[in-house]
Order: sequence, then C-alpha cells, then structure tokens
Amino acid sequence: MTNPQLWIAVVENGCFFALLGLAFYFNLTGAGFFNFAIGAIAMASAFVGSWLVTEHGLSRPLAGLVGVLGAILIGAVMELAVVRPVQARGEGELSALVAVGASLFAIIQLCGLFLGHEARPGQPVWTTPPFSLGSARIGSTVVPLVAITAVLFTAAYLALQHTRLGRLTRAIGNDTEAARVLGLPINTARLLSFAAAGLIAALAGITFAGRSGVSPDNALHWTITGFLALVIGGTGTVWAPLLGGALLALANVFIPFYFGGDVLAYGLVVVALLFFAFRPEGVFAPRVRV
Amino acid sequence: MSARIQSAAGILGLALLVLWAGEDLYRSSLLVTMLTYALIALGMYVPFVLAGSLSLSYSAYAATGGYAVAIGSAHAGWPLWLGMLVAPPVAAAIAVVLGAATIRLSGFYLGAVTLLFAEAFIQLLGNLDVTGGPSGIIGLPLLSFGGWEPSPFQVVLMATVLTGLLAFALDRLRRSPWGVVVRASREVPIAVDTAGVSVSLLNLVALGVGAAIASLGGALFTAYVGAVNPETFSVNVIFLAVFMPLIGGIGSPWGAVLGAVIVVDLTLNVDALSSSGTLLVSLSVLVILVLFPRGVLGFAGTLGRAGTALLTKRGVRA
Repeated sequence: MTNPQLWIAVVENGCFFALLGLAFYFNLTGAGFFNFAIGAIAMASAFVGSWLVTEHGLSRPLAGLVGVLGAILIGAVMELAVVRPVQARGEGELSALVAVGASLFAIIQLCGLFLGHEARPGQPVWTTPPFSLGSARIGSTVVPLVAITAVLFTAAYLALQHTRLGRLTRAIGNDTEAARVLGLPINTARLLSFAAAGLIAALAGITFAGRSGVSPDNALHWTITGFLALVIGGTGTVWAPLLGGALLALANVFIPFYFGGDVLAYGLVVVALLFFAFRPEGVFAPRVRV
Repeated sequence: MSARIQSAAGILGLALLVLWAGEDLYRSSLLVTMLTYALIALGMYVPFVLAGSLSLSYSAYAATGGYAVAIGSAHAGWPLWLGMLVAPPVAAAIAVVLGAATIRLSGFYLGAVTLLFAEAFIQLLGNLDVTGGPSGIIGLPLLSFGGWEPSPFQVVLMATVLTGLLAFALDRLRRSPWGVVVRASREVPIAVDTAGVSVSLLNLVALGVGAAIASLGGALFTAYVGAVNPETFSVNVIFLAVFMPLIGGIGSPWGAVLGAVIVVDLTLNVDALSSSGTLLVSLSVLVILVLFPRGVLGFAGTLGRAGTALLTKRGVRA
C-alpha cells in the first residue's frame, strides 16, 4: 500500500465512483428512486461523444456538449415517459425497477446497434499534460476528474442546502405524499432531479472514459458501482457518495493488486452483503429529529 | 381469459410448436432454446411475480443446471439424465443459502446484490479446473436412458412436455392456498406475518422452487447441445428472464412461456430484425409496462372480454 501510483488510481476511480453515486443521490433525493440506468447514461454520453469525434470529426467540446445534453434529455424522458406512468399506477417499486432495467438494456442495445459494440477511446473535453509527482505519474485525466468532482459536489451541496429549489427537492424526496398534500410542485422537482442526475453521470462518463475508453459493456458495471458508492456512503449528506466512492475505489485497486483480479468480484459480493445486511443506510445515515 | 382457457391455449401452443419443429434440426434447436428460456422464466416467475422478490441470480441457477449435467458426465461418468436430476436440489440449496444471507433485503438492494452474486458465480465457473475454465466442457455424450437414445425430435418432445407440465403445475400452485398466501405476502407482508405465517420462510421456499426450475433450463440446454461454458449464461440471460413474464403476461405462468417464445423468436429467428431483436425486446418491455401492464395474455383477455360484451350486446338487441 506504499506504492503511490496505486493511490493515484484510487483517487481517479474514487472520483468517478463518487460522481456516479452523486447522480444516484440526486435521483433518490428528488424522486425517492434509485435510477438503475445511471451507468448506461454515463456510458452513452461518453460513447456517443467518442463516436462524434472519431467518426465525424467534431471537436471534443462540441461532442461533449452533445453528450451532456443527450444525457439530460434521456434523464428527463425516462422520468416523463417511463418512471412516472409506471409509478402512477401504484404497483410498488418492482415495476419501476424493471422499467429502469429495461431502459438500461435499451440504451446499451441502442448504442451497440447503431455505433457498434467495440470499445472506443474516450474523448474527454478537458485534459492536462501528464506530469510526475514524486515517483507517481499523474495521467491526463486525473486533475480534471478531481476538479470536476470538487466542483459538482460543492455545487450539489450549495444547491440542495441553500436554494429554495434544493429545499423543495429534499422535502419531496423525504416525504412525497406530504409534499403532494402541501401542493408542492412534485413533478417539476422530480423532472429536474432526473435531468441533474443525467448531467452528473454524463460529465463523469465523458471524463473517466479518457482514461481507459468506453464500450456498451461498461454500462451495467458502472451502474452497480455508482449504486454501491451511494449505499456504502449513505444518504445522510450530499458528501456521502464521496466517502462511498473512495472506499469502493480502495477495494477496486488494492484487492486485485494483492489477491488477483478474480477475487474482486467475490469481494464486491461480500462487501455488498455486509453493507446491505448490517448497514443498509450506509456510513452517513439521515438524521431524523424525533 | 380464464385459467382453464389459458392452460388449454398454452398446451395447444406448445403442441403446435412441436409440430412446427418436426424433424428440422434448426427449428428443433430453436425450440429447445425457447424451452430453456421458458424454464428459466418459469423459475423466475415464482419469486418475482408470486412473492414479489426480485432476485437476479437466475443465470447462476441455470448455470448450476448446465454444469451439473456436464460435470457429472465428464468427471463421474454419469448419464446426462442423472445430472438433470441432481441439478434442481443443488440450485435450490444455493438459492436458499443466498436467500438466507439476503433475507433482510428487498427491491433495489436485493436486485443489486443478487446480480453481483450472479456475476461472481459465473466468474468462479470460469476459474475452476473442474468446470473446464473459460472454455467450459465440450463433447458430452447424447442423452440416453438405459441404452435407449432418443432422437432429437423425441428430446424436444420430452422437453416440451416437461415445460408444459411445470407451467400447468405452477398455475395450479398459484391458485392453491399456498400460492394465495405467497401472493398475499407480496402485497401485505405484515398482515401475513401477523397471521402466523413466516414471510421470510415463504420467500426462501419460493426462491428454492424457482432456482430448481431454472436449473432444469440450463440442464436441458447443456444436454441438448452437448457443451457448456460460462458465456452460455451471461447477464443478458437475467434481463431476458425478467422481461419474459412481463411480455407474455404476469397473470399466469403461461405468460412466462409465451414471453420466452416471443423473445427467442424476435432475437434469434426473425431475419429482418437481426441484431436489433434484443433492442426490440427491451423497448417492448417499456411499452408493455407503460401501456399494457398485464402483457400479451392480459391484452388478449381484455380483447376477448370486449368482444364477448359486444356480441352479448348485439344478441340482446337482436
């Protein structure tokens, strides 16, 4: 654990996992719902952006903008056309869970069908020249990932804690029925939370893809990773996914290094089982005044 | 549509499929794939639709069936049918152990951890010597019963009968007192618990029964093609198994069978759809969930009732 290069990998992975967890957090806070298509939205943004750059010669910023706007649109459409009508029938979370599962599957298949299933090189909008820090080499996406993570988490904290819309979103996420009785604009807040989650997922996917590329096969793994980052961190504070992402990144980097790559899959099951069974509220649990 | 009509239509549909396949090897293999998926979907129907528990480990249970047949034959010299008998209790035991470990979980949490388990299980199969590693086990002998080797058509016929019997049995089980309690535990678990019935135990039994049925799907497929490898039971199998009952209709186990037939036909048999078949399946699920939550069977029932009402109305006027 003294190899600094491994710690750089922890930082890089941790930021990405935390951002995916933050996207989950926005959906959960604003709609009381785990959007399992987050990984697919992140993948699709990076994948389409890469396709636009490599196949059509678009500039990276323009391709990134298309990816981000597309992700916001996917998030909004999912809420309006899929989740809302399914949940409105009051059939519980199972139908909605299958609906987002089908959305995830559809996004993967759409990308694979029209753009191919092969991995593409990532086309991050912002990179920095690689440099050395002591004996560690800092790659071109490390600084942008850390910066974007810091900016998005700070912005999310300020938006949720210190704006009227943020308080409204939290109120609806805490008790949707009470918010409905009070006449709060639930649908608007839900729509915004899905769009915001899409925006965060897109920025995470586009930036992280610069490190190791992107393919439709990444979608499910990214979804599970973001979900685990949120569950491990908890939902008590907006910063919780940051801790969850960091802990998950530690496992992702050091377990394969010391015990081999195969052990990671088994280790994740054990970690998930332990957290879900004994601490399903995560490290930071919401504080309730009684 | 009444349960009797659904059962009769299901049996008739399966009989027509067998006649359609006949001695044609391509059609027979397609029908075996349909039946494999139908068995996995029927397995998933028990905990998912009846008990409301979304366990996503069904690729692991199907793989258990496939590998029980392959390992038994390749390493112990068993006939394939013996592996098919061993598979259900082994898969049920795995499901019960996993179910016990995740007893406090539901919804998204249960889905996530069981999906991780399925991925880890398939990875484990690819790493063991006894399972043949990533390339799996190939060259299994033909299915035989005490020296009698059934033809491919006879194997297809037996598999069809097995699937039909299980669908029929599950339909009876769904309407039995046990099935009613399980369905009640999905809707009002506290009330069922209060009545003195352990919901946790009901869930474990449902998981065990479902895994046992799903393992038969994997066992059937492996016995028919004579080979198995970890790629056979990918994550896609889980998604498709979840989608099948929804497409066919969750009101009856026959909906799971119908869903399997539709999905396999769309993804493997319709040339015009080619690689877009799977996309069409997932989009169909979204449309069905939003517009026709009772699936194809439910929609057919609605049409049937509307038609009957129309005819009755005309009869009264006449």
